[in-house]
Amino acid sequence: MFLEQLTGNLIQGIVLGAVYGMATMGLSLIFGVLKVVNVGHGAFIMVGAFVTLWLFNALGINPILAVPVAFAVGMGLGFIFYYTTMQRLIKAPELATLLATFSIGILLEELVKLTFGSEFRGYNWVVGKIDIGVTVLPMSKLYACIGSVIIALLLYLWFNKTRAGSAVRSVVEDSEGARVCGVNVGGAYALSFALGIGLTVASGVLLTMFIPVGINPYMGGGYTLKAFVIAVLGGLSSPYGAFFGGLAFGLIENGSYTLFALIPGVEPFALTRFLSFVMLLAILLIKPTGLLSTK
Amino acid sequence: MKQSAIRTLVVFSALFCFFVAGFSLAEAKSAGKIVIGHPACLSGKYAKAGEQAIGGIKACIDWVNNVYGGIKVAGKKIPLKYKYYDCESKKEAVTSLIGRLVTVDKVNVVFSAYSSGLTLRGAPVTESHQMLYMDHGGANNKIFRQGFRYIVQTIGPATSYHQGTLNMIHKIDPKAKKVALAYEDSEFAKMVMHGAEKYAKKLGFNVVFERTYPKGVTDLTPLLSALKASKPDFILGGGHFEDGQLFNRQLADLDIDTKALSLIAAATLPAFYKALTSMAEGVMGPSHWEYGVKYSAGEAKKVGLNWIGPNQDEFVALFKKALGKNIIPDYHAAEAGAQVLAYVLAVEKANSLDSDKVRAALGDLEFMSFYGGWDVDDTGLQVGHSMVDVQWQGGKRVIVWPEEAQTGKPCYPMPTFAEKAKGKIAVP
Repeated sequence: MFLEQLTGNLIQGIVLGAVYGMATMGLSLIFGVLKVVNVGHGAFIMVGAFVTLWLFNALGINPILAVPVAFAVGMGLGFIFYYTTMQRLIKAPELATLLATFSIGILLEELVKLTFGSEFRGYNWVVGKIDIGVTVLPMSKLYACIGSVIIALLLYLWFNKTRAGSAVRSVVEDSEGARVCGVNVGGAYALSFALGIGLTVASGVLLTMFIPVGINPYMGGGYTLKAFVIAVLGGLSSPYGAFFGGLAFGLIENGSYTLFALIPGVEPFALTRFLSFVMLLAILLIKPTGLLSTK
Repeated sequence: MKQSAIRTLVVFSALFCFFVAGFSLAEAKSAGKIVIGHPACLSGKYAKAGEQAIGGIKACIDWVNNVYGGIKVAGKKIPLKYKYYDCESKKEAVTSLIGRLVTVDKVNVVFSAYSSGLTLRGAPVTESHQMLYMDHGGANNKIFRQGFRYIVQTIGPATSYHQGTLNMIHKIDPKAKKVALAYEDSEFAKMVMHGAEKYAKKLGFNVVFERTYPKGVTDLTPLLSALKASKPDFILGGGHFEDGQLFNRQLADLDIDTKALSLIAAATLPAFYKALTSMAEGVMGPSHWEYGVKYSAGEAKKVGLNWIGPNQDEFVALFKKALGKNIIPDYHAAEAGAQVLAYVLAVEKANSLDSDKVRAALGDLEFMSFYGGWDVDDTGLQVGHSMVDVQWQGGKRVIVWPEEAQTGKPCYPMPTFAEKAKGKIAVP
């Protein structure tokens, strides 16, 4: 029984971890290129969730098709916030960018609240389930997992096989050097910020495919905390590291629950959260560049 | 010497006249209105319940001012006013806003914010100001074990939430013995479930699973997988609205079927069914009030209680007018509205606005309104109000317990999630 539960939870953990990883890639990309910590990260995930909800409930559009729509919305928001706010703060002290992203997050939450109201919403997309013996996996969760892997691969290809991706990588390595070589550094910053936000908003769609309830303007806070742990786990400035960090986080979160449940008199969920933050502190102390970072 | 004495006398007389005039003006000002202060949850995680509470309060203030004619104090009818600020469902905002309401806005009574946590946080502030504090959203019994003198509850105590559900299952299915408890790690949910556990054992049920999950949880899969392994006959769970939605959804995802599922603070709200649709069929929840309950002036007379306030339909109409929305109020609105009526009766009974006198009057008060009975014990804990159990049947909320309040029979066992996915609805 124990092994069955552990295996089932680990499988669920991999599926959830892939989505967590995808939801953190945008945060790591923005930090890697612009050295900006986006504390409004969760609010952009929430925007993605509302895009899905609206497309599904109002227009009957399949959540899978909501992914490109949310990505485009996120890119648009990214460019708008970059040129109106972030561009002026790139060289400003870190506190200024922290406050700016925090404010952007609050602005988005309140705008969504004004438009949709504050109640917790959800949608019901029934596409079947697979019973694999040790656990039951809804197809919507599997689609979210597969979607996350595909998006991570596409990002990898974009970075390594395209001219724009190379330009962004050169800016990460040495922005002055890239400028001397004719790379439009400002453009690379704008594109990276927009891409990071686009990925984050798209991840909001995938997260709702995993958990299609509890959609609310203030739902992002919990995801922001998890994203920071995952980003540190995967190497703060590496989007791919973040993806694998997410997988590791999902496995640890689900697997440790089953193990902690063996200890009499403790609440396993409380300990999984405790473990997450102990891990965060330990990694920051031992390897501040991130557990999966090569630096 | 004589001139000096006269001058002193004149100065003192002038000062005396100034203070008397000032005091009279202040009295006149305060006598012109009675103000209810409220750190309301307009935004944040309790915004839904907060909106309902505001609607309920405004509806009953409207009735008091326009139908009842105001509160009678010292032979004069004084209208009620309502001053509220958004506490964003945050504890730190509750304390600062109560301070502002008492010291700047000079309110006469403070209504608590929604939830046990926020209510408890505000209590020491009102105590320090010796201000009457009325609780319509904090059900946790612990609030009333702290020795606070100025707090009075309208919402029923948490420990009694699941008594009706357990009584119902005990009566209609004596073979069902195994109950699983899974709930939010919050003061309110813990108190509800500790009460349920105690009562379940008293009725002879075995608690085969009991675990909590943290606030703000986004995935309950590991907990529910463990719950499934305990093979319960029925599940009591939840904590607040968002985790209740998640709980039901993930039970469906994992195909965990039981004969009954009762979720606190979530299952009774229309948004619950709207988000989950067929998955919510047959799901139950305890409620302090539901549209359809049969409390009336006639019922009050039968049980020897005084009646005050609008009847059920009048309350619904006033609520809709107050919010400007065509929605049916839920229990958050009803309990907040009933609290206004309790305050009105207590002020009239005390014939004063003084918090100590009104608090003493509330202690002796017993009445019935559209919300049901109202009576508190010495600590301020609500003991006069009975809860009902509601079940989703064919997309509608049906009061299934207690039998004397039923608007329909319970559907037990509820359909499985596989049956519900195929379109089966909960039919008794």
